[in-house]
Amino acid sequence: MLKKEQNDLVTQTGPGTPMGDLFRSYWLPILLSEELPENDCPPVRVKVLSERMIAFRDSEGKLGLIDEFCAHRGVSLWFGRNEECGLRCPYHGWKFDTTGQCVDVPSEPAESGYANKVKLKAYPLIEKGGVLWTYMGPAETTPPEPEWEFATVPLNQSFTSKRLQDNNWLQAMEGGIDSSHVSFLHRGDLNNDPLFKGAAGNKYNLADSKPVFEVVEAPGGLYIGARRNAEEGKFYWRITPWVMPCFTMVPPRGDHPIHGHFWVPIDDETCTAWSFDYHPTRPLSDNERQAMKDGKGIHVRYVPGTYRPLANKDNDYLIDREAQKAGRTYSGVEGIGMQDASLQESMGPICDRTKENLVGTDNGIIMARHRLMRAAKALHEKGVLPPGRTVEDMKVRSAAVILPPDQPYKDAAKEALIAKVGVKQTSV
Amino acid sequence: MLLSESARVTTAQEARFRIQTPNSKPRAVKVIALDSEAARLVDDISKKPWNGAAFFKSLSFEQSGDDNVKAWLNDLAGHTSDLVGEVANADCVVVIAGAGEDAASVSVIAELCNHYHKTLIALVVPQGSYEQDTVDRSLKALRPHAKMLVIAHERDYIEAMLTALRA
Repeated sequence: MLKKEQNDLVTQTGPGTPMGDLFRSYWLPILLSEELPENDCPPVRVKVLSERMIAFRDSEGKLGLIDEFCAHRGVSLWFGRNEECGLRCPYHGWKFDTTGQCVDVPSEPAESGYANKVKLKAYPLIEKGGVLWTYMGPAETTPPEPEWEFATVPLNQSFTSKRLQDNNWLQAMEGGIDSSHVSFLHRGDLNNDPLFKGAAGNKYNLADSKPVFEVVEAPGGLYIGARRNAEEGKFYWRITPWVMPCFTMVPPRGDHPIHGHFWVPIDDETCTAWSFDYHPTRPLSDNERQAMKDGKGIHVRYVPGTYRPLANKDNDYLIDREAQKAGRTYSGVEGIGMQDASLQESMGPICDRTKENLVGTDNGIIMARHRLMRAAKALHEKGVLPPGRTVEDMKVRSAAVILPPDQPYKDAAKEALIAKVGVKQTSV
Repeated sequence: MLLSESARVTTAQEARFRIQTPNSKPRAVKVIALDSEAARLVDDISKKPWNGAAFFKSLSFEQSGDDNVKAWLNDLAGHTSDLVGEVANADCVVVIAGAGEDAASVSVIAELCNHYHKTLIALVVPQGSYEQDTVDRSLKALRPHAKMLVIAHERDYIEAMLTALRA
């Protein structure tokens, strides 16, 4: 349970808010490279942290992320002509380059220098791992560029998708660190989904729906260990890293690719759920890649031509009550990604946490909120840069291990939780 | 196009119609310090306003006449109460251990929590500049017993957790 003012603090990420400042301390994924596939391709509308922008790739391949609206009369530059190293407003021909600088005002003499005095707000946009990333904070505190493992392995070893989700970022992210829901909500998929089935660890998940938790603070966030009984008195541990503010990873299953998420606020009532799969040491197989494109695992199928899930609130998530009754799916919604999204959206645009009743096993969520609030206040009030910005913080992995009962996972699985080039994931 | 049921009810406007009647009753949370370090923390925390949480600074044992051992909880006002009764009437039991301190008495509390089917949450609180092995010792002592085990580096986390649990 949070007080209303605490809930407001952690859910509001617009300009000038404490949590907005916090988010503006990190590189955030905002577009897939496929959305700006070539030089001079059509520009794309982007809204992140309640700011509306236009992204484009100019004639030389430079990436730009600028204020959506023309400085002249406020026309959306989504209608712009992407030509000759700039985006030209079709209304009166004003043109802007990737830095937001106005480079041409046709109605004014070029010699007047009028264009030089006009500049749209712009943020850096970089490409890494098939994803376009932006940093919206002060230039002097720019963190190292993204070094997340999924974004640094060769592209044939990874698959990244995104979907729009109609609720606040936090209730989506909290699903990513809530390990105990897997034994219920996703139990129908553990043995059926091509990207999950066959792993030895699945049987422990299905047999033990009351895991025991151990929450350990990491410099950049948390490790949340969920312990279930295995054979001979040993424990099956699934270890979920959370790195501030919105990166989570799902513990792996067998030799299936590892996966995880970024939960990026679009505004306070919608977010983008980024889903990535990668294998640290081998290319994804054709079957794996096809399954991901088909919406298996943590990915979803789309309404054609959009990143909106095909099963969405407008069609009641295509809920199948017979499948629910028969146990083929636990909630009646198909697909792990939409099982999560449908329930999270059902909480309303911004979950009212004053009404919730948390229990002891929710301590991962409680601690994540606590760290977020603490860091946001420290940054907003004292200028203290938040955790989770270093390369080391980004070099994390999830892990699944079987350990003797007397071994703490934070020590026994220490190496397994660090991403290392050419080293396979630790999984069961 | 007609809106689906889900589309209609997930708007901010519809969220206003959520029933405002409280959806839970106050819970009985028992917070027990396992050592003197933890007792100091519990003493401080107990001074905040809580929803009926009970705070105990120590656990003591007394040999009773029939060769049984009786366990007593000592609260901050100097009163004692029966551990069995407190656990039996709890919704949730939280034990707090200073890193490296003797946490052996948790086994008695855990046994009762098992008996009465109560959730036991254990917090390890490192003090100042601590050695990692002191934390590890505490974790080792608490791990077999706790349903949820947390290292609370930041002291105010204990308050945040108790607030989140409506203690």
